[in-house]
Amino acid sequence: MEESLKSICYDALVIGAGIAGGEAALNLANTGYKVLLVDKELSVGGKMIMLSKVFPTLDCAACITTPKVSEISRHPNITIFTGSEVSNIRKLSDNEFAAKVTKKPRYVHVEDCTACQLCEKACPTSVRDQYQFGLIGRKAAFIPFSICSPKAAAIDIDNCTLCGACERACPTHCIDFTMETETIELHVKTIIVATGFNLFDPNNMPRYGYGKFKNVITAMQMEREIAPTRPYHTILRPGDGKVPDRIAYVLCVGSRDASVGNPICSQICCMYSIKQAQLLMGALPMADVTIYYINIRSFGKGFEEFYQQAKGMGVNFVKGKIGRISEKENGNLILRYEDINKGKLQEAEHDMVILSTGVLPNKGIDGLFENETLYLDEFSFVGQSDKLASPAKTSIGGVFVAGAATGPMDIPDSILSAGAASSEAISYIIQHA
Amino acid sequence: MEIEKGKTAKYLREKAGGVPEQAKENLKEFTRIKKLLLEALADEDLTIKQLADKLNMPSDEVVYHLMSLVKYGLVVTGEIDDMDEYFTYKLKK
Ligand SMILES: Cc1cc2nc3c(=O)[nH]c(=O)nc-3n(C[C@H](O)[C@H](O)[C@H](O)COP(=O)(O)OP(=O)(O)OC[C@H]3O[C@@H](n4cnc5c(N)ncnc54)[C@H](O)[C@@H]3O)c2cc1C
Ligand code: SF4
Ligand code: SF4
Repeated sequence: MEESLKSICYDALVIGAGIAGGEAALNLANTGYKVLLVDKELSVGGKMIMLSKVFPTLDCAACITTPKVSEISRHPNITIFTGSEVSNIRKLSDNEFAAKVTKKPRYVHVEDCTACQLCEKACPTSVRDQYQFGLIGRKAAFIPFSICSPKAAAIDIDNCTLCGACERACPTHCIDFTMETETIELHVKTIIVATGFNLFDPNNMPRYGYGKFKNVITAMQMEREIAPTRPYHTILRPGDGKVPDRIAYVLCVGSRDASVGNPICSQICCMYSIKQAQLLMGALPMADVTIYYINIRSFGKGFEEFYQQAKGMGVNFVKGKIGRISEKENGNLILRYEDINKGKLQEAEHDMVILSTGVLPNKGIDGLFENETLYLDEFSFVGQSDKLASPAKTSIGGVFVAGAATGPMDIPDSILSAGAASSEAISYIIQHA
Repeated sequence: MEIEKGKTAKYLREKAGGVPEQAKENLKEFTRIKKLLLEALADEDLTIKQLADKLNMPSDEVVYHLMSLVKYGLVVTGEIDDMDEYFTYKLKK
């Protein structure tokens, strides 16, 4: 593909536009600095924009994220590149970094798209929707999700048959298959890495049956099922469309488990599972919800009270290690577990199982840097060179880290961490002016 | 080459020398299943289990495709059964 070469300058580059990167960009922009915010996805917002409600306040995630995202999008000091990646970062001097930004074609001119969805309607193709974690389909011409930003269509070129129906339907003629990959040379004074985390893939633990037993889903999929922008008209089992009434959560899936290469605690899974259990009891008042746990780690402000609130609502907590899950002919699931308090092997039947999968590092971020080494910690999260006194500093002067890129973290901590990273970045720019 | 606005898909098709096989296969499969589901619902309103039996299709595939058709505005949700377990689905009139 042909590439066009441009060169651009900003004060700061923020890599990753989740809640941490977005907050860091806003802090820099509000102080008068020009920021380039880059995300590989088609929308800003990271994982938070996908959530239902948030622990421990049960505020609606979209209601918190949407105003923030629109402030970021409209800020005159912030330029956003979605569908883009940064590479070949070189430190040229104490106040200059150069990098390459690769912008993939969206095949839609965002500024002219009115999000009318006529292209979606016209497109004959349907494939699994990655933003609904595969629970439902979407077209090859699609608006990523209803609260995405930029709110504009995109073309999934890998699944497009180039039939042209979307183009013919588009009233503003903003679909353009002549768009090509752009490569841009970037110069900045400081960099914030806010590339977040990955989730453990439960296919790596076949004994839980994920992928094989269709009523075993992940917590992120359940997060979508209970969100206002959910895939189904109500909460349903993906195996047969039944409204579930005996739901089980399995905690620590791929966390605190050296046998799958992740010995550490993911810190958020206990609390997001307790949150979902409360939301499910509200949505399905007749349902029984059981949480199988090893330890409940409710260490944050208001977390223990949130846990007790769930108990008070009738959520059943069982201290038990799940050995294996098997499936009955009717799609129900048999959980075989060690009841830790009784020291006995037990079995229980549920009609839907949610795996609370752990937080993993977003690997490969160190590979973005060319002439300096970004050190990672022993678990491959971005290393903090002074963990206690300056937690946002990395091994490279002028490069700071924010949010879950440093390790498992909830939203309030990600925002605090973004505050620290942006303050450090501002002070770095001033000191090296 | 002069590229006419609104006809750029043709340009890319010619430039790429055709359409990826995978995309063609996907489209064929979706069109086939969509037709089956819409025809089955043309006669009567059905639950997912009933659709799966009638079409001899795994029920998880019925859920995935049927919910997509609800999203695309071709099918609507009907009543839930007496046990509050399964909904029926019907064609959008
Ligand atoms: C199921 C579930 C439920 C949760 N519920 C809650 C809750 O109720 N309350 C709470 O406080 N927390 C909750 N959390 C935790 C919350 O999601 C995180 O705290 C938060 O998302 C961390 O934000 P972040 O910006 O650091 O990372 P992310 O949200 O992971 O954002 C990182 C961003 O960086 C982008 N990116 C990654 N790599 C690159 C790259 N190379 N180039 C460009 N862009 C890149 C990604 O596309 C993404 O947009 C939940 C998490 C899960 C999984
Ligand atoms: S050209 Fe591609 S995206 Fe547009 S309608 Fe046809 S298949 Fe869908
Ligand atoms: S690309 Fe065109 S048809 Fe599709 S949402 Fe945008 S304006 Fe509407």
